[in-house]
Amino acid sequence: MRITIYFKTLLLSSLILFGSVVSTLAIDLPELIRTVEQQYTGQSSISEVEMTVVTGHWERHLKMESWSLGRERFLVRILAPVKEKGVATLKVENEVWNFLPKVDRVIRIPPSMMGGAWMGSHITNDDLVKANHIDQDYDFTLLEETNESWRIEGIPKPDAPVIWGKIIYQIRKKQLVPSRIDYFDEEGIQVRQILFDDVQTVSGRTIPLKMTVLPLEDPNEKTVMHYRKLQFDVDLREDFFSLGNLKGRR
Amino acid sequence: MLYQLALRNIWRNRRRTLLTLSAMIVSSALLILALGIFSGMLRDMLATATEQYYGHLVISAKGYQDDRDMFSNFPMNKSIETVLAQDEIIGTSQRLRSFGLLSHQQNSSPTEVLGVLPLQEQTVTSLQDSLIDGNYLTDNDPKGAVLGSGLAQRLKVVTGDQLVFVTQAADGSIGNDLLQVKGIFSTGDVGHDNGLILVPLAWLQQVLVLPGQIHEIAVKTDQPLNAAALAEQYRVNLPDALEILDWGEMLPEMREVVASYDVSRMIIVIILYIATGLGILNTFFMAVMERTRELGVLMALGMRPGQVRTMILLETVIMGSLGLLCGAVVGIALSLYMALVGVDLSGTLTPITYAGGTILPRLHAVIEPGNILIPSVCLLIVSLLAGFLPANRAANMQPVAAIREE
Repeated sequence: MRITIYFKTLLLSSLILFGSVVSTLAIDLPELIRTVEQQYTGQSSISEVEMTVVTGHWERHLKMESWSLGRERFLVRILAPVKEKGVATLKVENEVWNFLPKVDRVIRIPPSMMGGAWMGSHITNDDLVKANHIDQDYDFTLLEETNESWRIEGIPKPDAPVIWGKIIYQIRKKQLVPSRIDYFDEEGIQVRQILFDDVQTVSGRTIPLKMTVLPLEDPNEKTVMHYRKLQFDVDLREDFFSLGNLKGRR
Repeated sequence: MLYQLALRNIWRNRRRTLLTLSAMIVSSALLILALGIFSGMLRDMLATATEQYYGHLVISAKGYQDDRDMFSNFPMNKSIETVLAQDEIIGTSQRLRSFGLLSHQQNSSPTEVLGVLPLQEQTVTSLQDSLIDGNYLTDNDPKGAVLGSGLAQRLKVVTGDQLVFVTQAADGSIGNDLLQVKGIFSTGDVGHDNGLILVPLAWLQQVLVLPGQIHEIAVKTDQPLNAAALAEQYRVNLPDALEILDWGEMLPEMREVVASYDVSRMIIVIILYIATGLGILNTFFMAVMERTRELGVLMALGMRPGQVRTMILLETVIMGSLGLLCGAVVGIALSLYMALVGVDLSGTLTPITYAGGTILPRLHAVIEPGNILIPSVCLLIVSLLAGFLPANRAANMQPVAAIREE
């Protein structure tokens, strides 16, 4: 009798213990965020993206092709419209260069301009450079867990060179893809929201093909990126990401 | 009769009179000179603030000067031209402004680009006088550029080098084009030297895809200190979407500097004249004490106390007027010298930029009526006040006691 009670409590407590261990072990938060932030790049990738930028004054559609290798290398070139065909951006580690075919010049983006818009969108040069380090620069906590999703909060590490004061990820459990990311400034005011839709399986990976960036200070503005072609784990080498290739010499 | 007496009294003790007079002359002359140099500094500051960049008045779309929004543009038209066709307006300049990235080879820097019509711009600002290399823009270089010395240093460019400017155009596209350095200016204002480039208006309109549009019209008048009133006067005739601001509204710090100048001028005048006033009081007191017997005799002969007082006050007024006359002449002469020749201090001092204006390293005076009138009027008042006490004392003397006094 006594033994059975002991046994039962032991069983119960070990179950509780086991359960909690499972739920903490089940998600390695930085790892999960890394997966989310690298969903479009992977180890290496080639893609074709359509970007629509809407502001109060104009709306424009761009077609771009892009290549990536690891976290640190990234090249994107505009295919259309004609006026901007050939304009390209190269990112290698913390540096960003732009190529302007009209004047046939390569321009390095100085640190003071990293907060500027990239290709006229609501994505900044900093986003290109720093997004890849988010899992290293922030501490993550699980805010909420439902059957469908996790809500994860990222707070910057004390000395990390970051631009956001807080990031909240909403991640679909089943597919391990984000549905929404909210960005807050240092005062805790939400300044940007990114929504993800059109989840599909490409090259064996499940990812949302459509990404909508909403700068919340202006409700009329948005940038929509829609991946049309996406290929992962392609044969790309580091020397592909050179200033020569930025200019479009193949 | 009293007047003659007063005059004779003054000339009787020449040494004392000359000493008092010289104190008056030196103090008022130096004060006029100091105020003139002070005004010169203020003029320099105001001139650098307005004539290097802003102009005295600026017409732009409402709110443009606060956020410099690219889309707050407008076309020049007849009705604006009519408003600006005034005698007191010396020059007007249409401008388009953009912020973007300027680069030369491996170097790049964020920059403010001002698209101007070269001939117009020279009627408003005086950057053409601050060139340290090359020439100003002309209508013949569609891609010419004149940039600040700090910016040129950072980009490592000299006259003749090519530059690329990139920014976001009004249609959302990436506006970019080449420029060629025509000249380099150095104004002493760090902000402009490190971050301003002047380009042809048409070039910038094409890069920004804003054909025929401008952001502002800078205006130079011949009455800079009266700019606020002029702005008020033109405002009513401008289209509703536009506003006109004077330099005081664009550079509120500068307006504070002008206001604080008036206060500090008064403080200097007061301090200097308290000292001068005490000196005058001293000599007049001595003069009255010395003449106690004489004044007693005058009163015994039938002179009324009021007449005695008037006589002594007359003496002080005569000396005061004489002092201020000579002081003003000497002061104006000194100021004229400083206005025409001046003293160059650039060997020992560097220019200081403050409140949007630059204090140049030189002693340079300007002659303003206020700077001569204020010391003169104050000197008269001070000598009257200083004469009043001894005059009163003399008037209140008892003739008998006064005559007996040793």
